[in-house]
Amino acid sequence: MRNHWSTAAMVVALCVGAHAPAWAHHSFAAEFDVNKPVTLMGTVTKLAWTNPHAHIYMDVKDASGKAVPWDLELGSPNALIRRGWSGRTLKAGDVITVSGYLAKDGSHLANARSVTLSDGRTVFAGSSLDAGSAQ
Amino acid sequence: MYRVHDRLIRLCAVVSILALCAAVPASAQSSGSRGTLTGTVLDPVGKPAGKVTVQAQSADGQTTQRATTETTGRYVIGGLPFGVYNVTVTVPGLKAFERKGVSVQAASTSLDIRLEEGSQLSTLGEDPLGIAADRARRAPPSGPTPRTADGKPDFSGVWWAPTVVDPGKPEWLPDAQQVAARRQANNRKDSPQVRCLPSAVLRRGPLVQFVQSKEVLIEITDDDSPGFHQIYLARSHPKEQDPLWYGDSVARWDGDTLVVDRNNFLDEVWLDQDAHPHSDKLHVIERYRRRDLGHMDVEITVDDPGVLARPWTFTRASELAPKEEIREFICNENNSDLPHLIDK
Repeated sequence: MRNHWSTAAMVVALCVGAHAPAWAHHSFAAEFDVNKPVTLMGTVTKLAWTNPHAHIYMDVKDASGKAVPWDLELGSPNALIRRGWSGRTLKAGDVITVSGYLAKDGSHLANARSVTLSDGRTVFAGSSLDAGSAQ
Repeated sequence: MYRVHDRLIRLCAVVSILALCAAVPASAQSSGSRGTLTGTVLDPVGKPAGKVTVQAQSADGQTTQRATTETTGRYVIGGLPFGVYNVTVTVPGLKAFERKGVSVQAASTSLDIRLEEGSQLSTLGEDPLGIAADRARRAPPSGPTPRTADGKPDFSGVWWAPTVVDPGKPEWLPDAQQVAARRQANNRKDSPQVRCLPSAVLRRGPLVQFVQSKEVLIEITDDDSPGFHQIYLARSHPKEQDPLWYGDSVARWDGDTLVVDRNNFLDEVWLDQDAHPHSDKLHVIERYRRRDLGHMDVEITVDDPGVLARPWTFTRASELAPKEEIREFICNENNSDLPHLIDK
């Protein structure tokens, strides 16, 4: 029994390790701070479907009501396309809420971990960590 | 007759006791009681983590039980023999969770779990959902190894990034270890890839395509720049050549195995994803075998006495991705990260 489970555990470990992502274009720790989560609500000005990363550019109102441009970094289009998304998934004028992590250099840049439309629909991501269908 | 019957009864009793002993895990035999481990799993931003596997393994390794979280993140592992457990949750793309010494001594024990980001963070497209989605798309076809007109195995096709089967045991020289440690401590800020130059010698994927002819095998990858290099099948290494980012790659057939020989690498290219350097003595031998239509195995030997005490051999395997296409990757299109990268 022990051998059985040990083998099973090893297989699981191998599978998990095997599918863990190799860091891609750059190290995230070089750019973003895992200790600085942020949630931003604003209006999309552009979805840049570009390499090495797609970007959402959006205006976020500050405390005085002034629109401040923000840059939200996504993965590469290749990776996003495999989830069923495209450069038309978001359009200028969409009001969205983005959760992610702030850039370390203090600029108005963050990585985007989840994107939610104003009607509550989640774009680009879900809350379940399973394979789920593309949204 | 009576004595035979008596012996039969005793034998049955012994067998029954033995069967009971075998059926009850050792950790439960001392108490004979069982409990339930329950709780909620949240992802790094506090949302419920659905369809995540939570594993509880007894400290003695005799009992292992798993449960899958509901969409609310709730999990229930019932029927655990009283004892001490090691609870783990592994989600690709996130930091593995492990809590040792979880004591189950009552009818219900509560353990809430908050998953944390890994070094990758969960940027969309490279997040656990994306990783899981890629995994779900893997369905390698079955069938015999395809062959070219001259009877050689044909490696042509799009393949998922190879996965390590046997990592081997690289014995890095101290100088190479120091360089790798320094590069990692600097968040790999100075990696060529950051500047849209080719990635490490040993890196492949997420998708790789082979296009094979009699004279050349072209290898294309979907997030590298320029994203392709040639492996020549009908020539040997030139006697004199200026160094190359991907090295000079030639190949010969050893039966059904294609043996690729790579040397002459540019100093600037990194050796692997752990940021190790290489020397001008770097020599890589890759032995490719397409075991059937859907699977490819590769044994890789890295021989570089400038950074390794002895040659390092490891193995990887790939699955065919017949429904995938490699889209262009023009890295310099919008490489806006550079000004924001911080090394410490």
